[in-house]
Amino acid sequence: MPRYWMALCLLALAACKIVENPEPAAEGSAPAATTDEARMAAKAEELWAPQVLPFVAQNATDIAQLRAALEGGPDAASSFGFRPPGEGSPWNFIAKGEGMVVAEDRTSRAAKLELDTDGDGAGDVTVQLGPVMRGTALRDSLGFLVFTDYRDQIEFAKLGRALNDKAHAALDVPETLTGRRVAFSGPFTIRSRGEAILLTPVTLEVR
Amino acid sequence: MNILRRTFIASVALATLTTAPFAASAEGLIAIITPSHDNPFFKAEAVGAEARAKELGYETLILVHDDDPNKQSELFDTAIARGAKAIILDNAGADATVAAVRRAKDAGIPSFLIDREIKESGIAVSQIVSNNYQGAQLGAEEFVRLMGEEGKYAELLGREADTNAGIRSSGYHDIIDQYPDLEMVAQQSANWSQTEAYERMETILQANPEIKGVISGNDTMAMGAWAALEAAGRTDVIVVGFDGSNDVRDSIKAGGIKATVLQPAFRQAQLAVEQADQFLKIGETGQEEKQLMDCILITSENAGQLETFALTQ
Repeated sequence: MPRYWMALCLLALAACKIVENPEPAAEGSAPAATTDEARMAAKAEELWAPQVLPFVAQNATDIAQLRAALEGGPDAASSFGFRPPGEGSPWNFIAKGEGMVVAEDRTSRAAKLELDTDGDGAGDVTVQLGPVMRGTALRDSLGFLVFTDYRDQIEFAKLGRALNDKAHAALDVPETLTGRRVAFSGPFTIRSRGEAILLTPVTLEVR
Repeated sequence: MNILRRTFIASVALATLTTAPFAASAEGLIAIITPSHDNPFFKAEAVGAEARAKELGYETLILVHDDDPNKQSELFDTAIARGAKAIILDNAGADATVAAVRRAKDAGIPSFLIDREIKESGIAVSQIVSNNYQGAQLGAEEFVRLMGEEGKYAELLGREADTNAGIRSSGYHDIIDQYPDLEMVAQQSANWSQTEAYERMETILQANPEIKGVISGNDTMAMGAWAALEAAGRTDVIVVGFDGSNDVRDSIKAGGIKATVLQPAFRQAQLAVEQADQFLKIGETGQEEKQLMDCILITSENAGQLETFALTQ
């Protein structure tokens, strides 16, 4: 009996031909995905390397400069910010810099690092590690993404979620980071003066 | 309702009597079409739009489509026949509305949508909608906090054909589902309706007496659920709504419903009129077609500032 199965398996293998998977990002035409989630996940994947990474690199402002500007509230820092159209939409800022990890929560589904970026020993930037990342700072800071281009709020929300998921997937960090220095870049949203910085990392490297 | 009906009949009568566009005021006529004013949310939209239109020198025509696409289509014909300069619309269906808005556009009348989107862009001039996803996440975060991150809960969903029902539920679950000790024991649609929510809540309570919280897709359903909970002596159950109605505000102040999320409906309607005015005067609004407006969490701390879908400073 086992011999019979093995023969069958070999036969089945012999009938197979190795077909390379087409690179979904290459053509810009993702396979016909059925759900909004799947289509937006494909979209996030497609945008990440050619558009998201360069946009963040080009538009990131040094964290110290941003924090100084934000002392006057989000409107005072508007020259560095991105804001989707619509009255009452909050400002989003893309930061870059380095900091010392002074605390971390790695057990929560919404894992986070506390970074000290100004050397006073206290955390001043919270970096989301996910897998659950709050907010739409990433989507809303990418000036080339426009709500009008999407079918409705559901699709646009799924895009925000897919970009956060992609940011999480792109992270490669050791199990404990407290006491290490990290370099980061990524966006955050500020609605009011004095609000804590909750950053969605696009790049995160241990120094 | 009587006044509305009279306005409507009068408008039809006028449309048949006069072939020339009716323009008593300097700037012309703006038609304001919404769902039934039985829900104070839609009434606030109509009132907000009308007030701003009059301030800007327009005559207004207030019409209600009762969420019936056929009736909405007739109202568009009325607006076109009356020679409206612009249409402010909270629509009767994301798919069904496309044709009506296009017909108005072909007749040279721009439409400015509020609250609900349609599934095509490039036909309406503006689509200004509340950021339902952001608002739902705010409501869900407060719900999770009130629940102490654990316990059994039920969700009341809005009307399935309405995009806002799906997006709010999605926003709720993106937060709540992160907490494994929160267990959803029932999820039912009550079609945005207070009476249906009352009935659903009674049934849910019978099947799940251990329930600790209810998260609702809008305030009218939250009011229905709360009434059923009160009738059953279960005022210990945590209820969170969505919209920011005066009814729920009063319930929050009285220690009943715990929280809601304000959609800036009044301001949204005014903004649509302002964009219509600018478009009529200079041919553009200076904004993208689709615009999201952020929502605000309402709890006992700021409920006192809430009045007719707007926060006073």
